[in-house]
Amino acid sequence: MMLDTARDVPTPEGIELSLRVAGPVPRAYAWVIDLMIRVAFAFSAQFAIGRFGKLGWGVLLILWFGLEWLYPVFFEVYWQGTTPGKRRMGLVVLHDDGTPVRMPASLTRNLLRAIDFAPVLYGFGLFAMLLSRDFKRLGDLAAGTVVVYREPATQHAAIPNAPPSMPPVSLSLTEQRTVLDLATRTASLTPERAQELAALAPHLTAGLQGQAALDRLLAIANYLIGRKG
Amino acid sequence: MKQEEFEARFGSRWNEFASWLAARADARSARKAAAGSSLLAGEVPARYREICQHLALARDRQYSAELIERLSRLALSGHQLLYGAHGGSLAGAGAFLLQGFPRAVRGQWAFVLLSALLFFGPLLVLTGALQRYPDFAYTVLDQHTIEQFESMYGDGSKKLGRKRESDDDVAMFGFYIFNNIRIGFQTFAGGIVFGLGAAFYLLFNGVHIGTVTGYLISAGLARNFFSFTAGHGAFELTAIVLCGAAGLRLGWGLIAPGQLRRADALRTAAVKAVPLVAGAALMLVVAAAIEAFWSPRTEIPPAVKYAVGATLWAVVLAYFLIMGRRRAA
Repeated sequence: MMLDTARDVPTPEGIELSLRVAGPVPRAYAWVIDLMIRVAFAFSAQFAIGRFGKLGWGVLLILWFGLEWLYPVFFEVYWQGTTPGKRRMGLVVLHDDGTPVRMPASLTRNLLRAIDFAPVLYGFGLFAMLLSRDFKRLGDLAAGTVVVYREPATQHAAIPNAPPSMPPVSLSLTEQRTVLDLATRTASLTPERAQELAALAPHLTAGLQGQAALDRLLAIANYLIGRKG
Repeated sequence: MKQEEFEARFGSRWNEFASWLAARADARSARKAAAGSSLLAGEVPARYREICQHLALARDRQYSAELIERLSRLALSGHQLLYGAHGGSLAGAGAFLLQGFPRAVRGQWAFVLLSALLFFGPLLVLTGALQRYPDFAYTVLDQHTIEQFESMYGDGSKKLGRKRESDDDVAMFGFYIFNNIRIGFQTFAGGIVFGLGAAFYLLFNGVHIGTVTGYLISAGLARNFFSFTAGHGAFELTAIVLCGAAGLRLGWGLIAPGQLRRADALRTAAVKAVPLVAGAALMLVVAAAIEAFWSPRTEIPPAVKYAVGATLWAVVLAYFLIMGRRRAA
């Protein structure tokens, strides 16, 4: 848990919400996707407007300005904290307190790209990200924003049904939690791996081997969550 | 209470909240969301607090990770909805222009003053000094640049301030936006390096503009030059100073954080500085329009341009001194 990238945000209701901070690599991918979109857009605009001669150049320059500076701000503020690239990578920009990013903070973090980008390809930004706890580049530090993973869609990995049985010894809360975690994950593990993990708790499985040991743990898990036989 | 019982008792309430959130995200208005859901908008805060309580219970009782995950996702969405302020409306932009911007500028008057000194100081000193030592211009600028400026403001030119007279007004408008606002943004961003970047851009621009001004006056082209710059000067020069002030404010947060940690001081400084940059960018758009469509016209007599320029200076100064002093009703 110490090495986790979760960031806890306390709320007025007295609970802590957990945000999962995104590191430099997915953010770089998101930036590249956005860059490609912007370049593609600039090229097609140039193709379309370029033939209007000098008047067209004026429009193009304004468009370039918009793509360079306002594109990320516009999307972050009006598209729930994501740009197309961030959305593709499953990232979202939030204020430090977990609320959706708004204009002042978005403007701050995106104008400061000018410094984060220096001296080459987000050199300073990367340096700041590696030094700060929540992978913040300078723009994030000044704006008070974090880039986090959007929560994954609900995957209902329910605990498999089994006739409940009482554990042979009384379990601490952490031990109960471990058994429950294993039971939840059984569906996504190969049977061999699940059995291997089940074998790590011999005092609960009482000498049972392989699938029998796993079944015994599932039965205990069913008991722990309170299913009736 | 065992987990199974807990879920059985409250699961339907969580689902109601979740479907309300989903409807809310689609409808984008609380009233419409309520129409498609069994929850009334007024019940939502109470329901949200219930979910927070259930999350705390689930964590304390070490229910399965999946349940805790489900509840914290609901709590996070509720938190974002209830505490995330909504902004970006047109009314907000109007209030910013009528009150927020001038207030923000007055609130940072010390930095605006410092920025103005760093910019206008070298500008005025060099303008004056070059009347005595015009050759000093060649120390600052190279010969080619100086010749270019001479031709831009030469007596024969049909359009002032253009390297090529054939340049289209719209193209120049685009160029001024692309170039000048970028410089304004860079001046602000440079301020995060303890204010040094902002100070550098201010001094650099002050020296550059001062040299050009001084040289053109000494070359006898003052009339052409000032009749070009008179119109947009009020907006452009003020905007440069404001971008610089914002950068200095940002840097000052790091230099003298006061009672705060430097990270917090930087954040506080950015909140105060960013309105200045946003407003200055809008001023630069106005300046670009004037500079592209009005300033280069030689058919307008200089006297008219001076009068307009002076009026705009008065308007800009009055705007910053007067606007937004009364609380909005």
